[in-house]
Amino acid sequence: MLLSTIVFLPIVFGLILLAWPSERTLRPLALAFGLLEFILSLFLLHLYDPSTPKLQLVENYLWIERFGIRYFLGIDGISLWLVLLTNFLMPITILASWKAIEERVRGFHIALFVLQTAMLGTFLALDGVFFYLFWELSLVPMYFIIGIWGGTRRIYATVKFFIYTMFGSVLMLVALIYLMLVTQEVTGQMSSSILDFYKLDIPFIQGQFLSPQSLMFFAFALAFAIKVPVFPFHTWLPDAHVEAPTPGSVLLAGVMLKMGTYGFIRWAMPIFPEAAAHYAWVFLFIGAVGILYGAWVAMVQPDVKKLVAYSSVSHMGYIILGLFSMNEYGVTGALYQMLNHGISTGALFLLIGMVYERTHNRVIAKYGGLAGKMPMFALFFFIALISSIAVPLTNGFIGEFLILLGTFKAYKAVGAIVVLGVIFGAVYMLWMYKRIFFGKPGELVTHDKDHPLHDLNLREILVLVPLTVLIFWMGIFPGSFLRLSEASLKHFIANQGNYQLSVLEKESSYPMALKESNYGN
Amino acid sequence: MEINLGLEDLLRVAPLLVIFVTSLIPLGIKVLRGNQEPNPLVPLSIGVVGLITSVMLLWTFAGQGQTVFSKALVFDGLAFWSGSAALIVTIGALFIAYESPATNRNLFSEYVFLLLSSSLGMLVLVSALDLLVVFIGLEIMSLALYLLIAMGNEEKLSKEASFKYFLLGSLASSILLYGIAFIYGTTGTTYISDIIENVPNLVGSSRLFLMGSVFIIIGFCFKVSIAPFHAWTPDVYQGAPTSLSTYMSTAVKLVSMAAFLRFVSIQSLGYSENLLNVVQWLAVLTMIVGNVAALRQDSIKRMLAYSSIAHSGYILVGVLSSAISSQSAFAASSVIFYLISYAIMTFGAFAIVNIFEVNENTQLTVDDMAGFAKRRPMMAFCLTLFLLSMAGIPPTIGFFGKFYLFSAALSEGRLWVVLWGVINSVIGVYYYLRPVVVMYMHDNNKAEDSERFLPATETLIIVSMIFVLGLGFFSDFLFKAVERSL
Repeated sequence: MLLSTIVFLPIVFGLILLAWPSERTLRPLALAFGLLEFILSLFLLHLYDPSTPKLQLVENYLWIERFGIRYFLGIDGISLWLVLLTNFLMPITILASWKAIEERVRGFHIALFVLQTAMLGTFLALDGVFFYLFWELSLVPMYFIIGIWGGTRRIYATVKFFIYTMFGSVLMLVALIYLMLVTQEVTGQMSSSILDFYKLDIPFIQGQFLSPQSLMFFAFALAFAIKVPVFPFHTWLPDAHVEAPTPGSVLLAGVMLKMGTYGFIRWAMPIFPEAAAHYAWVFLFIGAVGILYGAWVAMVQPDVKKLVAYSSVSHMGYIILGLFSMNEYGVTGALYQMLNHGISTGALFLLIGMVYERTHNRVIAKYGGLAGKMPMFALFFFIALISSIAVPLTNGFIGEFLILLGTFKAYKAVGAIVVLGVIFGAVYMLWMYKRIFFGKPGELVTHDKDHPLHDLNLREILVLVPLTVLIFWMGIFPGSFLRLSEASLKHFIANQGNYQLSVLEKESSYPMALKESNYGN
Repeated sequence: MEINLGLEDLLRVAPLLVIFVTSLIPLGIKVLRGNQEPNPLVPLSIGVVGLITSVMLLWTFAGQGQTVFSKALVFDGLAFWSGSAALIVTIGALFIAYESPATNRNLFSEYVFLLLSSSLGMLVLVSALDLLVVFIGLEIMSLALYLLIAMGNEEKLSKEASFKYFLLGSLASSILLYGIAFIYGTTGTTYISDIIENVPNLVGSSRLFLMGSVFIIIGFCFKVSIAPFHAWTPDVYQGAPTSLSTYMSTAVKLVSMAAFLRFVSIQSLGYSENLLNVVQWLAVLTMIVGNVAALRQDSIKRMLAYSSIAHSGYILVGVLSSAISSQSAFAASSVIFYLISYAIMTFGAFAIVNIFEVNENTQLTVDDMAGFAKRRPMMAFCLTLFLLSMAGIPPTIGFFGKFYLFSAALSEGRLWVVLWGVINSVIGVYYYLRPVVVMYMHDNNKAEDSERFLPATETLIIVSMIFVLGLGFFSDFLFKAVERSL
């Protein structure tokens, strides 16, 4: 029951908040809920058995019998860290929204909790339709978060976000239905369980795009690529990020983008292995283009939030590259980079939000010399920044290094090109840092009568400390994190072309769940 | 011809008889009182009691495929589900009419009478197994509607809508009748069950038979507003009193589609690839016309009308999959499921429009909804849910409706239509989100009481909301029940 509890508890929190009588205690209560959920998910670390790639803590019940749709939750080394990342960022986000969100506080926290359920469900659902449910559901709360609490062009941004992402997912739905019909043809019983999808042998004809496997692969890949977003489908991202309120940006960049990359590694690549291998060059290409393009565009952004948004495009390009290099280094690096990006970009968005709360302005040119006024802020910003540009000893270094290693191993030329991206990344970030924090004080810094630039207060430090600790911890002791995912990732690499997952059958504290799951082996 | 009327037959048509008898009571009371309108509660309760009794009788006697009156009517799963769904929606529409300023004045008795007559026509329509009875059912239903539309107290739009619907509807009816004549001419019978036997050899050889099928299909296409026969829909939904728009977009569409479904079961589409292609492209055209036109509507009722056209397109995809499906009732049950889900969410959306109508001349535009979420959070949430459901966002019933419908079409190999369908549902999202944007994201300092508080309507809205969510989670039960009975 642990996974169900983790997934659906936030909705219960939302309902409690809906009925909560006191407006004043709403925020502390929400924070307490967020922390409770995070502590609950730490039990996963305790119960999770890292020695096997099998699915654990499985809950598998028939939900819609007519179509073989199941209520199927399970965790393995790939989803484990993403679940923890989500639950780790949530209390931080709630604490960070203390000042940023001033009206309709109740609705905001309810939207956050619904979003949390949707994101957790996406990472934990192992049934096609069940997964799709959470995948689509995640759009709705984010739509409201951007649309209600966002900036001036929020409505344009939120509608674009919604429709763009939805366009990708409906094609995935068609492919999903098709897969379900294929399972019916093959096994006689319709099913949308991912374990059955893995077993399918979908016809693939080399060099022919219009073969079922290629088409379905691209239908899935389009949905995920839009979510990531991969280079030509990224245009919704800068709009959404710039208009979203700080907590929205943090969750969007920190977790929702990972839903796309997670979709690749869990769904698109293992279900359609031949197509994924055959068309890997497409993704290597757009991944590499995304890295360079994102970096170049970030370089010229006058708005610091937009700069970070474009840096996301660049960083997500690395993850795609790592995934499609399809060797152990690349995929491990990609998984690690998913977490890193969540933490470092999350931290950057939080920091930008903090200074924006003071000045209500994000134009880089109006700052300058900020380090003198806010030294602590400058320090935290610098730590997040070096993590983002992958300086050794920070987490970003491990992820990016592994990805580049994997890419070099697989395709030397691509590796050689994207290494340049690392340099460009350092260029735009450091240049931005220089323009904001050093040099001649800009107009916002010299005339700060109406917006006092006091340094970080205790709450803001509390928000940033966990992230900072994690940046160094993950950078210095990556083993303590990767150890838990190793078995799953090794299994993923070793069984390319014929990836199967099974359910861990063993005496554990969940006899109930296991009894139901005599299925899938 | 020998006429044998057994007690059994009478029992089985009891749902129809009950409606017929109760429909006369409110009118009778008014006449006996010297043409004085009684308290509107009286006709309302009579109508509701009659409809509920009828639904109960339908549940008791129908559903096993019994035929009545020498096979003129049949009470099978199709009649059972669409009939009872339509009647239940009618009950809701009565309550809305009771609380609507356009209808609850001095003609309410007549309104109840006409609404009940119209539902009588619906029951005839869904259970008819003879093409002529189909026509009779359709006419009973439509004649009452022509009058009902004109009954809005509002001056111009309502009369114009009524006249438009009357002219175009009569034309469509006559085309339908013409088609029936063709089919009678070629097969010598109007019984659907007898026609089926002749279809395989007639479709290939007889142009007349094919023409007849086409005419009948056109007749139905008009009733369920398939493009290019859809032009009346926005005008009528906008002009008619809101309670009636609710009724027309849900119950009327539901039963017309059900009758359409019964007609295509003769499989003329299955044997004629050309006809199938035409209908298929009509479905695609309908989705596009509905969704694209809805993008530019400011009036909520017109927007919902175009959305209803788009939904007709989706349903037609299911209807044609059922027409070519040979193995099971899968496609047909997906259509019924979609119709039920569509009826629930559309009912809810129109019912919310009713809350905004302070007097009979209100023409609600999207911008009027600004700030609604602050003033009435519960109702705004319900409307959001209905709109998301229409857009097909999980976990609402609308998502599962689309899911089943597209699964059925895909299992018949209709990939292209399905692709058009899903792309259209993305276009749809844009206008379904518009009222949500305005309600939640635009501010407006209107007074607290700029909308009305309507106990019955609001209860119905909340009930629909529970169904939209509940049937989303438990869609399996409903779907299996429908499939078993077909």
